[in-house]
Amino acid sequence: MRRVWFLLALAACSKGPQADLQYIKQARSAGAEWALVNEQASAGKLTATYVGSMHQWLRQQIQTASSGLTEPDARYAIEMQALLSQPDDAAPEELRAHVDKLKQIEDSLESA
Amino acid sequence: MKPDGKLKLVSELLDLPLLDSEGKYCGIVDDVELVGGAGKDLELKALLVGPGAYAGRLPRWAMWVVEKVAGKRITRVPIDRIRSISGSVQLDRPGDELGLHRSEKAAGKWIPRRGAL
Amino acid sequence: MNPLELTLGIMTAVGGFVDISELVFAAKAGSAFGYALIWVFAFSTIGIIVFSEMSGRVAAVAKQPVFNLMRHRLGLKLGLVTLAASIISNLITCAAEIGGVALVLNYLTGWPYLLMAVAMTALLIASIWVLPFKWIERAYGLLGLFMITFAVALVAIHPPWGQLAGGFIPQIPHGLSTKELLTFGYFMVAIVSAVMFPYEVYFYSSGGIEEEWGPKDIMTNRMTAILGMGLGSLLAIAILSNSAQLFSGINVDPEIPGSAALEAAIPFGKWGLVLALLGMFFAIAGAAVETCMANAYSIAQFFGWMWGRHKKPWEAPRFTMTWIVLFLAALGIVLTGVDVMMLVEFAVLFSILVLPLTYLPLLLLSGDKDYMREYVNGPVAKGLGWLYFAIITAAALAALPLFFLTSGGNG
Repeated sequence: MRRVWFLLALAACSKGPQADLQYIKQARSAGAEWALVNEQASAGKLTATYVGSMHQWLRQQIQTASSGLTEPDARYAIEMQALLSQPDDAAPEELRAHVDKLKQIEDSLESA
Repeated sequence: MKPDGKLKLVSELLDLPLLDSEGKYCGIVDDVELVGGAGKDLELKALLVGPGAYAGRLPRWAMWVVEKVAGKRITRVPIDRIRSISGSVQLDRPGDELGLHRSEKAAGKWIPRRGAL
Repeated sequence: MNPLELTLGIMTAVGGFVDISELVFAAKAGSAFGYALIWVFAFSTIGIIVFSEMSGRVAAVAKQPVFNLMRHRLGLKLGLVTLAASIISNLITCAAEIGGVALVLNYLTGWPYLLMAVAMTALLIASIWVLPFKWIERAYGLLGLFMITFAVALVAIHPPWGQLAGGFIPQIPHGLSTKELLTFGYFMVAIVSAVMFPYEVYFYSSGGIEEEWGPKDIMTNRMTAILGMGLGSLLAIAILSNSAQLFSGINVDPEIPGSAALEAAIPFGKWGLVLALLGMFFAIAGAAVETCMANAYSIAQFFGWMWGRHKKPWEAPRFTMTWIVLFLAALGIVLTGVDVMMLVEFAVLFSILVLPLTYLPLLLLSGDKDYMREYVNGPVAKGLGWLYFAIITAAALAALPLFFLTSGGNG
């Protein structure tokens, strides 16, 4: 029970990589969805309208995550900017490379 | 049940919906008017309907909010207009005759009478 | 019992079961925890069946809507608190539904999201104005059956059926960290809230009065609740299972409603995508109608106004103005630009806090012989009712701490 109160207090007033973890997850997931959308689009399974909308919303998710970071110069912040600099129709492998790096950072923060 | 015997005010009357002789909803029993006094029998004189009737049942600050939003209107329904009391209070007159549909009529002026199937 | 009416009622309930909150949380639950949260959907569905059946029975026997009886039972002060909480909860939920359906229109047409929100609100207002109650309910409910696309997609992707079936057994996965455990707990609470939203019960019981149910319709009510909601929940479980199979291995935690449509696009291509989006459109639009009308019903019934869509709009003017104003208020919330997913989170959070206040009066009313006569709660309804009341009270107490500890389920 004491541990739960501690986590509650921590959630309320922390900074740094642990506080940024939720944003790293958000950007990682949005990047992974972006790669999936592009993969399915290149297989001819999606309408152009849907793809355009999803690109817009997923970019917005990554941008929002990036804006919420408390450590804007951290490695994960640079990865998020690298994701945002990709063109909408970037190759899924390229997007997943950035996603995998974010995932590694996320996993190391969670195990810390 | 007719209101000429003993009644449990809270469980059998207060906050019951009112239905007029045409079966239309025309408010809720928001409060009651009693006559009598200390040591005497209390007699039900009228039902009170409208936001002004909340005054005896809400704290002052809440009543201030009610008055700002809905006003202080009270409509008094004499006891002899009640036909019966069960899950609702059935009245023996149309709500219009008892002054109970004024707000509904006022709102009705804003609603166009076309387009609905 | 008219078999055609019963069948249409059940199908309407199936098509109308999934709303934006269930869609979002089913997809997120599947990607985050695989099949491990299926049992929570099933468990919550039993709860909403129990309380929907009770509310329909109260409407059919007492011939009074729930909020009329609630005010009489609770009195003015507690009744006003319940009404205020319910209005806020339903308004936020309605805003989430309008935002959700505007998003779906954006995916389908590419037209701007906020413009779609305005257009959709106008369309919803027009449809409620023009159509009688039964047509409103049936139109959105039956067209919501496009959601069956997700169930068909599940069969097409050949999930591990043994593991999926195992998800129906109550469980907490092994080897979770403290934070993951808290996130699992948050998802449990969120799913209970999303499935047992208060507006469903208010709309269902008022709908029973609109359709002039009587004691002869008790069995119709029971079968509609059990079969309609039971089958409807399988659609939500299909969304969860698709997500578990397709998203969990590739780092996707669906963050936007459009991601769910991929579940049908992956096996079926463009046709699957379009059918899934159409299903989402009608299901979420139907939920927007239900949340708004539930609020209007509650307000009108609490103050004793004339109400109901079985009347023409000008025959119940204050009720009519109320539902129009509520739609515009919900649209106003969407037009502030607040993220739809945030609205969904707040809708779910607020609703779970309000659930005990919603269901306790209903439990007491349906167990009161003075109102219900020989149709009073039997031992099964009574036992399940009190069990679920205890569960939703516990969930309501845990909701806020879990929300903050897990950053709204994001870990």
